[in-house]
Amino acid sequence: MSSRSAETWEQTPPLPEGHYVSGRVYNDEEIFSDEREHIFKKIWHFVCHESEVAEIFDFRTTERADVPLIVTRGEDGRIRTFINVCSHRGARVVMEPGGNARTHTCFYHHWTYDTQGSCVSMPRPEGYDGTGVCKENMGLREVKTEVKWGFVFVNLDDESPLLDEYLDGALDIFDQVLPKAELEVFHYHRAEIDANWKAYQETIVDLYHEFMHVILRDTQMPAASMDDREMRTYANGHVTIAGLKADYDKYEGWTDRNDASCFPGLDPDDARFAPLFPAQTFITRGTVMRVDTVQPITAHKCLIESRGLGLKGESEEERMMRIDHHNEYWGPFGRNVTEDAFAAEGCEFSFGKGAALRGIIARDEGGKGQCDSGLRGFWTEWSRRMGRPFSHPTND
Amino acid sequence: MPASNDAVRELIYRSCRCLDLQDFDGYIALCAPAFRYRITLYSPELRKEMIWLNHDRDGLTALLAMVPRHLVRLGTLQRNATVYTIDRNEADSRADVMSAFSVFNIDNEGRPSVFAVGHYHDTVDLSDDQPFLLSRNARLASRDLGIGSHIPI
Ligand code: FES
Ligand SMILES: [Fe+2]
Repeated sequence: MSSRSAETWEQTPPLPEGHYVSGRVYNDEEIFSDEREHIFKKIWHFVCHESEVAEIFDFRTTERADVPLIVTRGEDGRIRTFINVCSHRGARVVMEPGGNARTHTCFYHHWTYDTQGSCVSMPRPEGYDGTGVCKENMGLREVKTEVKWGFVFVNLDDESPLLDEYLDGALDIFDQVLPKAELEVFHYHRAEIDANWKAYQETIVDLYHEFMHVILRDTQMPAASMDDREMRTYANGHVTIAGLKADYDKYEGWTDRNDASCFPGLDPDDARFAPLFPAQTFITRGTVMRVDTVQPITAHKCLIESRGLGLKGESEEERMMRIDHHNEYWGPFGRNVTEDAFAAEGCEFSFGKGAALRGIIARDEGGKGQCDSGLRGFWTEWSRRMGRPFSHPTND
Repeated sequence: MPASNDAVRELIYRSCRCLDLQDFDGYIALCAPAFRYRITLYSPELRKEMIWLNHDRDGLTALLAMVPRHLVRLGTLQRNATVYTIDRNEADSRADVMSAFSVFNIDNEGRPSVFAVGHYHDTVDLSDDQPFLLSRNARLASRDLGIGSHIPI
């Protein structure tokens, strides 16, 4: 047998249900809007690191589930999040991506809010006499915010479980690192790519695609036994991958990192990943840490936000080393992330309009090697939240 | 005889053309031994300066030599540059040269899109009639590079 006929191409593969993903999940508009309601409006989202709002009155703006947000540090030192929408007639309140301001005045009719979300002034309030509209009940909508090891998470659902319940211990693969290190973000970039958000996130969970990256073929695959790898899936769809190693000098032109100053508790050749459901990833590689989020824009477009972190107070020389190490792999001119985005766009080409019918996630290496168990864990949680089996998510 | 401004302009344009054609040896030949290449930009999110690439001449040579082994952005990149200012320091035989650039991506179907916009801040060695690049800071004004690029700007 070589090529396939329409019949054999279209028929359900001879695999257990959970071992293939229907192509509809990448292109169906109803699925896309259900994802916003059932997943992105319900889960805890990493929004920024506390070093981005280090000082009193510092703020950052961003968006999650199409909801614009302001994250700000109040006079009491607490980090709070508000929907960046004016209570008056719905205009955007804060325009800048970051800054420092004691109050925020809406450009439209000059209602002013403080860093605790209270409306502190509105011009000519007497015009509302007798209507019940007054600054006391016109504050910004606050969004649940929790900080874990310096990482700021928000949840748009007031009824959600606590952050730790959502994380379910998945970040504990960094518990030798994160509680001991005071971190600082030195790299931030955002990039829109032409792909469904899941196609990008899958590149992080899919270890089999190591073959696609020269750097992983050269530095990671030969560096340790496939049997030393440990991929763990969590009931709520998070995945952790530990036991990866890298010999960086095996890539032509790179040097080893053996004497480099690492994050506490990590060896220079250590690599570990925690892709959290649905699309936020924490990764360390000995000397560097990256945190990514992917957000849906349309069924065919997503936004990647990527951060690089170093140790607060480190020397200029150490910081430069960390920046270089980050850029080698992960910067927009690096050798790795660019290729993952290429892969996601390559899948969009075929899934976007339905030419590709399904993807196979049937590798079973018992959580070692290049096992697809992480992908199956991701998709199982997707099905649970969406109320649709990922192998047959629509009625057609 | 020190390099003329015309020769400096030609150096900048030639550097763009070499990268467009992926003539990496040709590009490196325009760089002095002490060459330093950087891509920098300001992040209004972090309110900090960022460095997105940082190499000496050897590092850049090695990086460019590996490009053919990688899975790179489809199509070609085309740089359009204009030299804005050449500030000569005859005593040091150097010039600070500032140029505007836009980089277009032309995909395999021929569709153009803007990849990046910014300025080159170059230092040029004028001591001979043939000028060389001593440093290039490709300063990005745009910050969203889509899938990114293995080839510097
Ligand atoms: S919409 Fe903001 S003050 Fe009117
Ligand atoms: Fe990858």
